[in-house]
Amino acid sequence: MNTPLRFILFIFAALMLSGCDGQKNANESLTVLAGSELKDMEPLLGDIENKTGIKLQMTYSGTLDGAEKLIAGEPTDLAWFSHGKYISLVQGDRNRILAQEKTMLSPVLLGVKESAAKAWGWSDNPNLTWRDIAAKADSGELRYAMADPASSNSGFTALVGVATALSGSSDALSIKDIDQAQLSGFFKGQQLSAGSSGWLTDAFVKEQARLNGIINYESVLMALNRDKRLDEQLVLIYPKEGIITADYPLMLINGEKREAYNKLVAYLTSPEFQQKMMEQTLRRPVIPQVKLSEDFASPLLVELAFPNDLAAIDKLLFAYEDKHRRSSHAYFVLDVSGSMAGARMQSLQTALKNLTGQDQTLSGRFSRFRSRETLTFIPFDNQVYPAKTFTINDPGSQSADMQAVRQYADSLQPLGSTGIYQALQAAYRMALEARHKDPDRFYSIVLMTDGENNAGLSEDGFAQFIAALAPQDRGIKTFTILFGDASQEGMKQLAEITEGRLFDGRESLNQAFKTIRGYQ
Amino acid sequence: MRKLIAPLLTLLLVLGLGAGIYVSVNEQLAKQSTVKVRGLIGSEKEDFFRDPRVIEALAKQGLAVEVEKAGSRQIATQFKLKDYDFAFPSGAPAAEKIKREANVNKAYEVFFTPMAVASWKLIAGILEANGIVSQRDGVYYIIDLTRLLQFVTAEKRWSDLSKNGGYNVKKSLLVGTTDVRQSNSAAMYLSLASYILNNNNIVDSAAQIGPIIQPLESLFLRQGFVENSSAAPFKDYLVMGPGKAPLVMIYEAQYLEEASRANSGVSDAMALLYPEPTIFTKHILVPFNDKGDRLGAALADDPELQKLAIEHGFRNHDAAGFRDFVKSHNLAVPDTLVNVVEPPTFEMLEQMIVMIEQRYKGN
Repeated sequence: MNTPLRFILFIFAALMLSGCDGQKNANESLTVLAGSELKDMEPLLGDIENKTGIKLQMTYSGTLDGAEKLIAGEPTDLAWFSHGKYISLVQGDRNRILAQEKTMLSPVLLGVKESAAKAWGWSDNPNLTWRDIAAKADSGELRYAMADPASSNSGFTALVGVATALSGSSDALSIKDIDQAQLSGFFKGQQLSAGSSGWLTDAFVKEQARLNGIINYESVLMALNRDKRLDEQLVLIYPKEGIITADYPLMLINGEKREAYNKLVAYLTSPEFQQKMMEQTLRRPVIPQVKLSEDFASPLLVELAFPNDLAAIDKLLFAYEDKHRRSSHAYFVLDVSGSMAGARMQSLQTALKNLTGQDQTLSGRFSRFRSRETLTFIPFDNQVYPAKTFTINDPGSQSADMQAVRQYADSLQPLGSTGIYQALQAAYRMALEARHKDPDRFYSIVLMTDGENNAGLSEDGFAQFIAALAPQDRGIKTFTILFGDASQEGMKQLAEITEGRLFDGRESLNQAFKTIRGYQ
Repeated sequence: MRKLIAPLLTLLLVLGLGAGIYVSVNEQLAKQSTVKVRGLIGSEKEDFFRDPRVIEALAKQGLAVEVEKAGSRQIATQFKLKDYDFAFPSGAPAAEKIKREANVNKAYEVFFTPMAVASWKLIAGILEANGIVSQRDGVYYIIDLTRLLQFVTAEKRWSDLSKNGGYNVKKSLLVGTTDVRQSNSAAMYLSLASYILNNNNIVDSAAQIGPIIQPLESLFLRQGFVENSSAAPFKDYLVMGPGKAPLVMIYEAQYLEEASRANSGVSDAMALLYPEPTIFTKHILVPFNDKGDRLGAALADDPELQKLAIEHGFRNHDAAGFRDFVKSHNLAVPDTLVNVVEPPTFEMLEQMIVMIEQRYKGN
């Protein structure tokens, strides 16, 4: 090739390249602080990226936890929760939310097994009220699963809705209207709690034999029916006083991303996306151009007023935790072996003391030990030390009850090697005995260890012990906390054989203890 | 062959470069004459500014407008106004608040719209049976606001009304609004209600507020959590049905804009009700600099933009144009509204809102 030709071809190639470059859609990546109930949007994130050129990087969080992070100014471009009302109230004048747009709708409802709904005359009954439901729960006939209101948006929305409906007032809830007696009756029926609505759903599937109802998003209940995950279909209940609908606002937090935000909102509220979203996630569309599919029930959906009063919401949450929900008995099986010495022991002590009311953050205030709660601590190294039990009558952070727990936490001394399973077995024996005597409480075990089992009962031996439990002795879950050098696989398996859950405490032991509170 | 290719490619290259330069110079020229104008607007005008026809008409005037929406009253309190070229709130009181905040005197009255209530035929029928609503000229509905407020302040529920079949629910009889602390449409409802409770007189002294503030507060507080800007409750109305809020205070323009749209969200079951008396909301553009000033002048004076405003449901000096718009879309709208009251002065309205704000804070 002669030189001029080569030169010309080079120029051409350069021009073509630069032309292409100008047209290429530069992909942008936005961080999203999201409620864990939005995990089911993940299959749609690829589609969103294809259509808008924007990649969403989701970080999941619970109700109060998420609100707290936003208010504290945690850097994120967007926030996406099942509702933004509480966050709007908590932010006050801080104006963290620069823009918000609703993206989908799903009311929080009670689903009841078909046989029970028929027997009680609840199927297609337009006159059924939350009071009728509370009566059935109070009598012990209705046994339902509901997520913890302080940790999960579905539980939070349900609590606000039920309290508003039961108040008998037709307006937004205020402190004077909260009907404590009715609420206690209603929450007698809550026989399964969890810190997230997704985990609650899975636990409900596993324990469907002993329960006959579940409170969750309409979309979750419809998906349980669609995916045939239950032996018996659920009937969705739309009580006469009304319900509260989650509306999933996408919130702009970082003002520099407004252009990308506008693009996202335009696509998320387009008929194309709304149709896809409705079909896949079973949430209702936010635009009238997409018609509700026939899978949805279409009674008059009466919307209850959402309170505008933070003090009323606070009071309601505390009343739930300290008065209305079933009281719980929590067992803490704590590793005090030699390897815990120093910083590790200190973080354990801090985490425990924070639960006595010392953590005054939004999520800390509601994860403290509750009134009526019994706590049993079982420290272990190569031996199992005598258990110590406390009962919280006064949940004030300066009460004698809370102070006693703090003193106990400070007294823990690291020593010796690690015998995990013999300590856990001891905890099970104690918990089973306690449950025989007083069955109307939540029983659960927390296991915190920083190492591998090297003394006493083996892992297999413990698995055999669990497998050999009589049917009526099952259902006490162990929540394991991964810490220090503990084996992730081992702790996960241990959680699984007891139908509990693994929590990672390596980054923050404090946060792990707080998160577990939603399950206790 | 090679001898041929080289000159040919050279020719192509020259042509290509020439075209490239031509296009880019043209773009540069266009860019130079177009001014980017950035402003804060009430959410009900978002669709107007997103309309490609409006964007084109503005481009002809050399303007490219970028908007952020906010509650009209929120604009004055929660934004750094000097970061923007203009504000375009709804309502004269909100505009006045912004003018004082930004220390400007100039303003453009671009268009106006009466306050109306978005509802359903089912609901209108129940209210008619209870003597609160009547049909006029057989085409549109009038709410007797005095009578409605009697029911509301007596804390009646929908289940207390007679002939309430189809809507026998325990909800309180309330008009759904935005947040009166943030948004103009709620402030307009407050203006109307204060006029009626003050024995059909515009509130013009602090002494008149005391006796009526409690029932005024409860119009808003009893609703619980409400939205900051008027687009949100209207969107809820379009998708959530009468169970969310059977009566929603909106701008007439919002309903007419939606009803005239292809693939409209307004269905046969819906109805637009006109309160009597009603009140007009002026949409006033407040410029913060020359760029904002240019936009204000264009919106107020350009016949094409004024015509497009009518297409979005707003009214202006072109009454005949509005009539044509209404007719061509078969909308049931009163041509002229006679019983229209003025809002109270800025100071009086502020005073009422501040008192309600105190109650929200629990004082």
